[in-house]
Amino acid sequence: MNVAPLIEARGLSLHYGRKRAVDDVSFAIPKGRVVGLLGHNGAGKTTLMKALVGLAPCTGSLSVLGLRPRHDRVRLLESLCYIPDVAILPRWARVEQLIRLMQGLHPRFSAARAESLIARTSVALGDKVSTLSKGMVVQLHLALIAAIDARVMILDEPTLGLDVLSRKAFYEMLIDEWCDGERSVLISTHQVEEIESLLSDVMMLNEGRLVLSISLEEMDRRFVALAHDAAQADAIAAAHPLLRYRSQGGPTALFDGTPSDAVQSLGRRVRPSLVDLFVALTRAPEMNRSQF
Amino acid sequence: MPTWDDRLPIYQQLADRLAGALLDGKPADGAPMPSVRALASHYLLNPLTVNRALQALAEQDLLEARRGLGMYVKAGARQRLLESERRRFLDDEWPRLRARLRRLEIGAEQLSWEEQR
Repeated sequence: MNVAPLIEARGLSLHYGRKRAVDDVSFAIPKGRVVGLLGHNGAGKTTLMKALVGLAPCTGSLSVLGLRPRHDRVRLLESLCYIPDVAILPRWARVEQLIRLMQGLHPRFSAARAESLIARTSVALGDKVSTLSKGMVVQLHLALIAAIDARVMILDEPTLGLDVLSRKAFYEMLIDEWCDGERSVLISTHQVEEIESLLSDVMMLNEGRLVLSISLEEMDRRFVALAHDAAQADAIAAAHPLLRYRSQGGPTALFDGTPSDAVQSLGRRVRPSLVDLFVALTRAPEMNRSQF
Repeated sequence: MPTWDDRLPIYQQLADRLAGALLDGKPADGAPMPSVRALASHYLLNPLTVNRALQALAEQDLLEARRGLGMYVKAGARQRLLESERRRFLDDEWPRLRARLRRLEIGAEQLSWEEQR
């Protein structure tokens, strides 16, 4: 059995001029995972993803599917698919032309698979890209790259600007057609609350540094959220929680690690949400929750 | 998008929903459960979370894994679930409901058993 991670980074750094966009980052992504990459604008998400697909030079060690992305980019792209944040499909093209184009470009693209994926959507093979809604274009794009027999998918803000139904359809296709327990996907987004339940793992970037890389299962064990009465606020604050916030209308405190029984008895344990943890660890007090 | 509250872990909330459906006979005893993938895409959940929920139901003696075929509803699952839910209602919910009815001075004769339309 092959247990080597699909992606492994150690001490990975990237510079733009003198600015460190990604700073000494280490992580591993095994097979069968759905990993969320979270970070504010400018935190380094897109830069990190570019390094993973060999589009940006980096220092440190990086292995993707056992290859070095910068050196073995052509071979890597046979088994990796990627939707960059600036992805576009040519507006003049018809869907069937895009399928033919992909067939010519990619050795592991299956036209039959693309057609069956597109059949899930309301897009027809004869449609021109310019006549499709934004949500349909993104679904078409996912169908085209999911038809590549690859092992790693990298999605940079794929659902940005889509309405809720299009986002739902996008994630349904991703879960249904891509996640088979062998392949992994790394996905960056600001819609943290929405994708929390889809993820198996989460990585949080803050100013180029990886502040948390954890499985959701481990997160539930390690972080403790206590919903409490306003009367207990001072006693809770004295126990130094990571963050205090309101959840479902009531005051809640988030702790890294299980607090003492005395502190736990002050409140009722609830499930810590990813958004609250993200806010606590990336510390951007000026940021409004509604911006996610 | 399906909503999950933050009182319980998501897998537990899914297990509760699936148990609720089993109580309504969906699926019936002996019938196959929907696949992990079908459940994952229906509820927009990670397949690992779905697996944990199914595992929790198996530990409650409601489902069984059949080699190579997936999860099946165990014989007698609905009856066992019905009994444990009844016990939970009579032990936990009924005393609270009874106390509230007493406080509001509502007697049995004032309660309508007809479904309101």
